[in-house]
Amino acid sequence: MCGLCGLLGEDVHWSDPLGDGLPRRRERLSRIVAINKVLAPFRLKVEDFQGVSYLLLGATGKQELATGLDQLWQRAETLIGRALDPLDPALLNQLECGS
Amino acid sequence: MSIALNVITGFLGSGKTTLLKRLLSDENMGDTALLINEFGDVGIDHLLVEEVAPDTVLLPSGCVCCSIRGELRDALSGLLERRGRGEIPAFRRVILETTGLADPAPILATLNNDPHLRGRFHIGLVVTLVDASHAEMQQRLHPEWLAQVAAADRLLISKTDTVSPEQQQVLRARLHTLNPAPVLDSADIHSGDQLLLGEGLRSAEPAHEVARWQLHRVQSTPARHGDAQVCCLTFERPLDWIGFGVWLSMLLRCHGERILRVKGLLNVNNSQAPIVIHGVQHCLHAPVHLPAWPSDDHTSRLVFILRGLDADQLRRSFTVFSQSLAPMTNGAAA
Repeated sequence: MCGLCGLLGEDVHWSDPLGDGLPRRRERLSRIVAINKVLAPFRLKVEDFQGVSYLLLGATGKQELATGLDQLWQRAETLIGRALDPLDPALLNQLECGS
Repeated sequence: MSIALNVITGFLGSGKTTLLKRLLSDENMGDTALLINEFGDVGIDHLLVEEVAPDTVLLPSGCVCCSIRGELRDALSGLLERRGRGEIPAFRRVILETTGLADPAPILATLNNDPHLRGRFHIGLVVTLVDASHAEMQQRLHPEWLAQVAAADRLLISKTDTVSPEQQQVLRARLHTLNPAPVLDSADIHSGDQLLLGEGLRSAEPAHEVARWQLHRVQSTPARHGDAQVCCLTFERPLDWIGFGVWLSMLLRCHGERILRVKGLLNVNNSQAPIVIHGVQHCLHAPVHLPAWPSDDHTSRLVFILRGLDADQLRRSFTVFSQSLAPMTNGAAA
């Protein structure tokens, strides 16, 4: 826990950075860039919150706070009201157009 | 030091308790604590192994996979406390015998996600027994059978004397196409050493375990076994770990129960040595760094055992995500 702000650290996850090639904060920002590419077709946006959580922003102003990737996908599904399926052909087509 | 929790699973009547009795009679298994999970109000199995393992802890109230994750946590914590107080001898490993109806994935998830257990216990090996005489029917009728077989690090065929050598051969071939784990005859196993219980990805020699996975022999086959299918992804270019984590976490969140097993040997950006990942359904273990590549072939390999999921869709999804989420190089950005 951060002694100054009282925030708990991010939970351990298998997708955490493998080495110390990049500063942890920079790895996290790279991950947020990747997540935003995936969520853009759903009109969702993610921002970093204090280096430990993700702030999900919906197109209508709804917001959700999530800790870790698993919770992030769960909260994103709550905001869009359906499953976030990485096999969905429509999502894959949009990603292909955007890349 | 973290203690290995080995799981012995297999459908009802597949010979789990018989195997346990043989294993626990081995003098090298003396430093093993035993947890037995039973389905039903009155536990019987613990009476069968009591002679050889008097400190057996019975998890009586149902199936490990659905109702007693908390009870599993309590039993494991209880073992540590009793050991700390000197009530039971120090043990080096724990064996959990599941009910025949248990899906192993939630057991693994309990160990991975519980902050109290994480760091004190890790998953050793999952050993699955397959009843030779009833395997075909069980696969057809009971979805748990496939989940147990897919999760296995060691597959043991029991009751081989009840089927012909030809039928046994067919079963072995079928198991091999479902899961490339080593297949052994349960009757030949009399000690933990024969099962290589001391090994596994968290041992001192993880490369030996990865070699046993035989990833380089796995081919994606259009042939299905029931609704199960193996999908093998291979790729030459080093993988961007951040993008891969985003894709796989999203995939497991959405389709975890249809991805019975995932194993991979990965060539990752900025890493000289390979990274090994493995998981069962929603639960992926912490990646393991191997000291070196097993050969000159540095191709990444990812093997999925799927149930009711289209392998071509999975392959396309992986390709599109890899291309879309790859970090822009200077050349690409220009």
